[in-house]
Amino acid sequence: MRDKQIEDLKDYKYGFSTDIESFKAPKGLNEEVIKFISNIKKEPKWLLDWRLKAFERLKVLKEPDWQKPKYPKIDYQDLYYYSAPKSFKDKPKSLDELDPKLLETYQKLGIPLNEQKRLNGIAVDAVFDSVSVATTFKETLTKQGIIFCSISEAVQKHPELVKKYLGTVIPLTDHFFATLNSAVFTDGSFVYIPPGVRCPMELSTYFRINASDTGQFERTLIIADKGSYVSYLEGCTAPMRDENQLHAANVELIALDDAEIKYSTVQNWYPGDKDGKGGIYNFVTKRGLCKGKNSKISWTQVETGSAITWKYPSCILKGDNSIGEFYSIAITNNHQKADTGTKMIHLGKNTKSKIISKGISAGFSDMTYRGLVDISPKATNSNNFTQCDSLLMGNKCGAHTVPYIKNKNSDSNIAHEATTSKISEEQLHYCQQRGLNPEEAVGLIVNGFCKEVLQQLPMEFAVEAQKLVGISLEGSVG
Amino acid sequence: MEEQLKIDFEKNLKDFSYSDQEKKFKETNFKEFLKQGFPNRKLENWKFSDLNQIIQSNIGELTFYNDYKKENQIDKIELISELEHNKIIIVDGKIEKIDFKFEDQDKIEVLVEQGEENIRENINSLINLNNAFSNKFCKIIIKKNYSLKKPLVIYHSTNKNTQFKNTNLRIDFKLNENACLRLIDIFKDNSEKNFLNIYYNFEIDKSSILKNYKIDKSINNNVKYSYNNVKQQVNSISETFILSSGSKFFKNEINCDLLGQHSSAFVNGIFDLDDENHHEIKSNINHLVENTKSYQLVKSVLEKKSKAVYQGKIFVSSEAQKTDGYQLSNAILLSENSEFNAKPELEIYADDVKCSHGSSSGSLDENSIFYLMSRGLNYKEAKKLLINGFLLDVIEKITDEEIKNLIKNLLGVKE
Amino acid sequence: MLKISNLSAKIENKSILQDFKLEINPGEVHAIMGPNGSGKSTLSNILSGKKGYDVKGEVLFENIDLFSLETEERAHKGIFLAFQYPLEIPGVNTNVFLKTSLNAIKKARGEKELDAIQFLKLVKEKAKELKFDEEKLGRQLNVGFSGGEKKKNEILQMSILNPKLSILDETDSGLDIDALKTVADGVNALRKKNNSFLIITHYQRLLEYIKPDFVHVLMNGKIIKSGGPELALELEKKGYENIN
Repeated sequence: MRDKQIEDLKDYKYGFSTDIESFKAPKGLNEEVIKFISNIKKEPKWLLDWRLKAFERLKVLKEPDWQKPKYPKIDYQDLYYYSAPKSFKDKPKSLDELDPKLLETYQKLGIPLNEQKRLNGIAVDAVFDSVSVATTFKETLTKQGIIFCSISEAVQKHPELVKKYLGTVIPLTDHFFATLNSAVFTDGSFVYIPPGVRCPMELSTYFRINASDTGQFERTLIIADKGSYVSYLEGCTAPMRDENQLHAANVELIALDDAEIKYSTVQNWYPGDKDGKGGIYNFVTKRGLCKGKNSKISWTQVETGSAITWKYPSCILKGDNSIGEFYSIAITNNHQKADTGTKMIHLGKNTKSKIISKGISAGFSDMTYRGLVDISPKATNSNNFTQCDSLLMGNKCGAHTVPYIKNKNSDSNIAHEATTSKISEEQLHYCQQRGLNPEEAVGLIVNGFCKEVLQQLPMEFAVEAQKLVGISLEGSVG
Repeated sequence: MEEQLKIDFEKNLKDFSYSDQEKKFKETNFKEFLKQGFPNRKLENWKFSDLNQIIQSNIGELTFYNDYKKENQIDKIELISELEHNKIIIVDGKIEKIDFKFEDQDKIEVLVEQGEENIRENINSLINLNNAFSNKFCKIIIKKNYSLKKPLVIYHSTNKNTQFKNTNLRIDFKLNENACLRLIDIFKDNSEKNFLNIYYNFEIDKSSILKNYKIDKSINNNVKYSYNNVKQQVNSISETFILSSGSKFFKNEINCDLLGQHSSAFVNGIFDLDDENHHEIKSNINHLVENTKSYQLVKSVLEKKSKAVYQGKIFVSSEAQKTDGYQLSNAILLSENSEFNAKPELEIYADDVKCSHGSSSGSLDENSIFYLMSRGLNYKEAKKLLINGFLLDVIEKITDEEIKNLIKNLLGVKE
Repeated sequence: MLKISNLSAKIENKSILQDFKLEINPGEVHAIMGPNGSGKSTLSNILSGKKGYDVKGEVLFENIDLFSLETEERAHKGIFLAFQYPLEIPGVNTNVFLKTSLNAIKKARGEKELDAIQFLKLVKEKAKELKFDEEKLGRQLNVGFSGGEKKKNEILQMSILNPKLSILDETDSGLDIDALKTVADGVNALRKKNNSFLIITHYQRLLEYIKPDFVHVLMNGKIIKSGGPELALELEKKGYENIN
């Protein structure tokens, strides 16, 4: 079983590409392309105007360059900003009308969209290149008033909600990649949980980049109305390609009074080959707003893929008594690079935040935890606890911790702890004496190291993530 | 500012008969400063303390010319009476007196140096400013196997007429093998609204020990920057202690390169801030070879609208296996308007290391106060007792007993 | 079963074992006694395959050259070391660790691996025998365990993995009398025709409960005297200085 997994990894299990004829916007970034996207999606004028406003702003914004992992300049004119399977030009009405090749792709990924073979208790929205291809369990959810659909569909069917919340957490002008996304976003998921409803199942989006030379710019918007609860999962894979592909998504979460959103990510984009060729640039903006009193937003991420991961899922704790959490495992191997962490902005009274970050670097990789904890003068009686641990395997890799801590309130407490270490020879010896080979021993110890974070994941994801943790480090034990 | 700089720079050059090499050195540094100006918040290192803006709002327009020929009065400078010591007296960046009266004179060499270009100078624009405007600088060499019998105290002061002025001082120290120097910097200013810029270079040879205690206790409205550049060889030890308190603004930056095995660096500090004072300690400890050690502890007690910043960085190169790096900062915010910022940073490229950092900030523990009050202390006494206990931890790290007592007295801390 | 001939070991050029000889046959219990620094722990480290020693000589385990085997392969062949200082592994559940270990060994031997239910049944049974608090099996491996609990955990692992040769490295140190009895019961329960033991200890206390077939005295890296159980008593009376 395990050997098979190792074999799978060696070839990056998800590295196949699907031969589907796709329908693309012309290459390049300009007003015409934006209008094209808006037009094909039959968007209302306000949204087109919104996109164009973002594009205007983009012209004066500079790409940030303060991050640790550097990358060659991206030619934004040499990318496709819209790609959809051709059979989608007139969107199929039901799953039966889906291109069988697409269904097959998702089957290979282990995500059956087929109604008969649906994943147990998880509603899935699958995004293939630029468009959402299928959403399962729709009826069950509709009965409770839950809206779970592609954002394109939401623009058509629930424009009042989209208009009210889109861009309220990540403003149009935020920063280069967020603004780029606002101008050209193609699809993504939309979730609305009505007041008092506890979403009965995990909601999940599965992202897949297939076409080459294509950037993926999805946009996710989740609104948990008063007293509601939702747990949302996100998974990602891409084919193996020699060139780097850009993925610049925006995710906005809004929790109103007494609402809770749990957002989990298992990111396994193609990381590039052993020599660092190819792989996804995962430059994602994720931000949650605890808008209401007693609201809670919890981010959990397991980041094992991508050539470069650069993201800081953040919480703005605006409502009094609101809670923000960030649990992260980031693993880099070979030539992968990651610069990830979170921001906890405390604005309301009695707000609490917790950050648990576990970074593991191996091979020639480089990993940075970067985080901000900011307690504003008005956030009386707030507190933060941060624990950042790094594990290094070999001396060709790097592990860095860069926390920014700002306390402007004397009634609030911030505590930060960080350690960097390696797996001790003694621990390895102990495990080996009990019959485990070195790789199994490392897998076991690393999973132990990550336990606090793995525990946060929903069951179905936790098992997958645990395997991924072990597999990502294969070949790193010398 | 640019006009003023140019005029003052020319004036400064004319005053002295600098050699061509010195002139070139000064001009290069001057150009670099003109290009960059005072550091501002756009630079990562200055994110929490925008010096450009601090100078603007606390001083306004500066002048840069210093008449190094002028004799300054030094008899009114208050000296430490608690302990016997050697001394160097500095007024407005000019060395007025060097006195090693307790030492064997042939064991200490004092050179007046020219600017050397081979020293890494592109650190920041303030070092450029320093090199462009400072007087010929002094290099103090402690010979092999010599430990100074008494500490050396450097008194930093300003003339009472000096205002809106930038003064610069550079001193280089070389501790030859197995030498030992205890160095105390005392800041006592006689005038306000100046910007003092100090740059020390330390070369610490095999088995040598440097202890540097910086005491900024007297209250003043000056803006200060001090940069210690420390290079350490095999088995050497550097201990830096900073009491950061009296100035309007003070940024102490320590760069320490651990170049020899079994060398170790200690950086300890106290921020005891009141009013609107804004102070920072920035450390860079670079572990560059195997088996080196660093330890940092910084505690802050912040009153009123004061602000303390601690940016401590531990860097471990891929060669530096078996590094032991530790860093801790704790802050107590005593007023709702005080602020503590920290950026404890680890940059690590070797796997067999033990590195950690911790940071905490918050209010004084009300339960402890309540406990002490229930034993009969009033609120003020209880608070004072707790703060003393909080600070004592750092003071206990001072390895020199005499100086430890001096600092305890200065802070009014009793055991 | 185990044959050690002319074994010498150095660490960083310091000689620890010299010309060490020992033969253990199936079913035998051998005790090695010696003062601190005599090389007792080095012996258990070398037999289990710990790296860092400069080793010469020959060790055969069931006629296989032990030095040609990795640590885990020795475990697969049936060598078990109860560590003097059992390690804490944060985040790793004790049960998960035990199951992973047991199945790794079973797999290497070509035996059928146990599923979760079979395993739990086995573990419960063994824990009961050893009076090991079951609740602790759900906790992180050795984290927050007392010294005695850690040692009992080693014996529990031993009885579950059912090794051919068990090496007990100062398992008795730090145990109170009740724990000592439990540990001894565990060992005695495993004593069978084909299972051998090598008990490394400083004191003869443990040997009151586990009767050895042979006792060896280790001093300065060499066995200086061998005998029956009575040797342990003699040692206790005379002390290491006056033996020989």
